[in-house]
Amino acid sequence: MSDPTGGKLTINFDTCTGCSLCVLACPVDVIRMDAATAKPVIAYPRDCQVCYLCEDDCPTHSISLSHDISNSRRYSTYDEFGLKV
Amino acid sequence: MERAAGMDVLETDVLVIGGGFAGCWAALRAADLKATVTLVDKAYVSRSGASTMSGGITTCPLDSDDLDTWAEEFIVRGSYMCDQRWTYQLLEGQRERIKDYIRWNVPISRTADGSIRRFASRGMVNVRGMQYQPKVAMRELRRQITARGGRILDRLFITELLTADGEWPTRAGIAGAVGFDVYTGRFVVIKAKRTIVSTGMIAMKGTHRVDNDCGDGAAMAFRAGGRLVDMEFTFGGTFNVLMKKFDFPSYNVAVAHGARLINAHGERFMQQYDPERLERSELSHVVAAFAKEIVDGRGPVYVDLRHVDDSYWTDIAKLHRGGSILLTDHVPDPKTNPLPIEPTWGLWASGRSGLQIDLGGRTNLFGLLAAGSVAKNDATGTHASAGSPTAFCKVSGWHAGQTAATEARESQHPAVATDVLTMLREQALAPLYRQPTRQAADDLHDDLARLEASVVNGMILNAEKLARMLATTEAVTVATELCRADDLHDLVKLHEARNVAACSGVVYRSALDRTESREQFFREDFPMTEPSWFCWHGATLRRDGKVIFDRQDFPTEGVRFVPPPPEAGGLGPIGAIIRGEHAALVQA
Ligand SMILES: Cc1cc2nc3c(=O)[nH]c(=O)nc-3n(C[C@H](O)[C@H](O)[C@H](O)COP(=O)(O)OP(=O)(O)OC[C@H]3O[C@@H](n4cnc5c(N)ncnc54)[C@H](O)[C@@H]3O)c2cc1C
Repeated sequence: MSDPTGGKLTINFDTCTGCSLCVLACPVDVIRMDAATAKPVIAYPRDCQVCYLCEDDCPTHSISLSHDISNSRRYSTYDEFGLKV
Repeated sequence: MERAAGMDVLETDVLVIGGGFAGCWAALRAADLKATVTLVDKAYVSRSGASTMSGGITTCPLDSDDLDTWAEEFIVRGSYMCDQRWTYQLLEGQRERIKDYIRWNVPISRTADGSIRRFASRGMVNVRGMQYQPKVAMRELRRQITARGGRILDRLFITELLTADGEWPTRAGIAGAVGFDVYTGRFVVIKAKRTIVSTGMIAMKGTHRVDNDCGDGAAMAFRAGGRLVDMEFTFGGTFNVLMKKFDFPSYNVAVAHGARLINAHGERFMQQYDPERLERSELSHVVAAFAKEIVDGRGPVYVDLRHVDDSYWTDIAKLHRGGSILLTDHVPDPKTNPLPIEPTWGLWASGRSGLQIDLGGRTNLFGLLAAGSVAKNDATGTHASAGSPTAFCKVSGWHAGQTAATEARESQHPAVATDVLTMLREQALAPLYRQPTRQAADDLHDDLARLEASVVNGMILNAEKLARMLATTEAVTVATELCRADDLHDLVKLHEARNVAACSGVVYRSALDRTESREQFFREDFPMTEPSWFCWHGATLRRDGKVIFDRQDFPTEGVRFVPPPPEAGGLGPIGAIIRGEHAALVQA
């Protein structure tokens, strides 16, 4: 499956210590621990709600998240009215 | 996947479902009273729900305040559609809960002399709010619960309330709840003497960035016979999320510090709609004004942060992600450039609707209590100022915990038949064993969220539109009974779709039943306010599947603030703004 976050939610495994705080932090179960590697994986990128809790809770700043993730089911009034912003 | 065998059966005095502010305060209070407490959450308590994500404004009454003027403002602005005893209970209780935050060293915005920095809450003139760090408060609550011996079960998704007679709706009351472990699929039964549902508000997934809150608790309680009130007032708006690309901490916080809204011509358009409170008006009025500006060709609308006081930026630096306001790189500096802003409009209750509770947090169902935004906030009526939702969560949670713990002392666990538990397990896990289907849980959430695609369209309701919306929820409900779940994660989402559909179905039915316009509810086919609708509007499920509506008067005996005799025929505020007849609204 292609990554619906378009690589906008990433973990830097060089610095990640596998402490799993990001797994706890995610309210919508996007991040899971990979038993084989003892490191987190972005298991359900489709559901990232862009709340930044994982990024904020990571003690080694190994997660980065961009605002442009388009999981959103929000529709813009500006698109509806053809207004450019 | 192998069919999960067996189940875990736990017993507890008090079961709390959902660990946001409401559930945490309930668990804390019940544990203080020495009840055995089990708090469950589909995510990790302290990192889930609206509470963790909230803007950090809360109503802030101090010992020195005259609560009568505060109560009056809540009651009058809430059009007297409240239980005034609740209003006082809210304010008195919140005063104590603020002291807890101070004791726990939760970061609070303070002035140079060290006193709490207070400001007029959005929507209010007299009532004051403060700003604090909700993420720290949530973490501290978790710690406090554990320290008192409360048991917390994270990543447990509750699928159904357990009824004492094995019937839905029940005549015998609630005996706990059942669910499954999100990681292992293990089915868990929790038998409880008292159950508190605190699963947060009803909202579509993917629209507010609080995707845990799918109305699970309201839907489960409704299926069990719980009475939901004023569900049509679930419609509401917020500016918390800006556009698809931008974000900043909170509209309410920004306007409290002096941020303005301007249209494409640079006009501060709220002057027309609410010259007293301007951008700090009721959110529904601001959203309607936004819609009007866009429809009349004066969009886009911008939030102008050039006028905020310095404490806005210093507070953000201290209380919100190190001062980042989360803008993409290509956005000009918001300190000097107005930002395009847009609201949402849809299911967003936070207290205007939900399970009705008494002062002790009891619902109409024996053994079931409710707290927080799954419940109707009868303290503030239809008018939620900035800060009152979280105040209500704390205080309703605290009271529900107290009632549950006290009542549990005198109670036994009702017996529950094993075949009922087996049936509930089958129901909960069945989608895992279905044949692959064309539609998946995601598609169902897409279908539901599309119902609130347009802010402008969504504010203006009529019978035909509501019937179409209702048909979608019914189609989704049927689909959830056929849809396959690929794994446990997907199974959660499928149950969530079922619950969103159930709740939105009640909302649309209630909206069809209310043949008038009032507060933030506007029907173009019934644009006038009718005195006969000055009441609570209840919805309950009958055994034959029919939804029954009732109307109940607000308590009037011995109330301090007596409502004026209702007048017939006024255009509701949303209708007035949308139709450009708001001059009358401004004078009123
Ligand atoms: C972005 C945002 C900003 C806000 N800003 C403010 C503000 O500044 N001031 C203010 O007063 N109010 C604010 N509000 C409103 C306020 O945050 C909410 O009313 C309040 O936090 C609700 O708390 P709660 O405990 O009722 O629910 P929540 O905090 O949402 O908690 C509900 C919990 O129940 C769990 N749950 C749900 N279903 C199940 C299930 N089936 N099984 C197990 N667990 C389940 C969820 O995972 C969640 O943890 C804001 C809301 C949002 C979304």
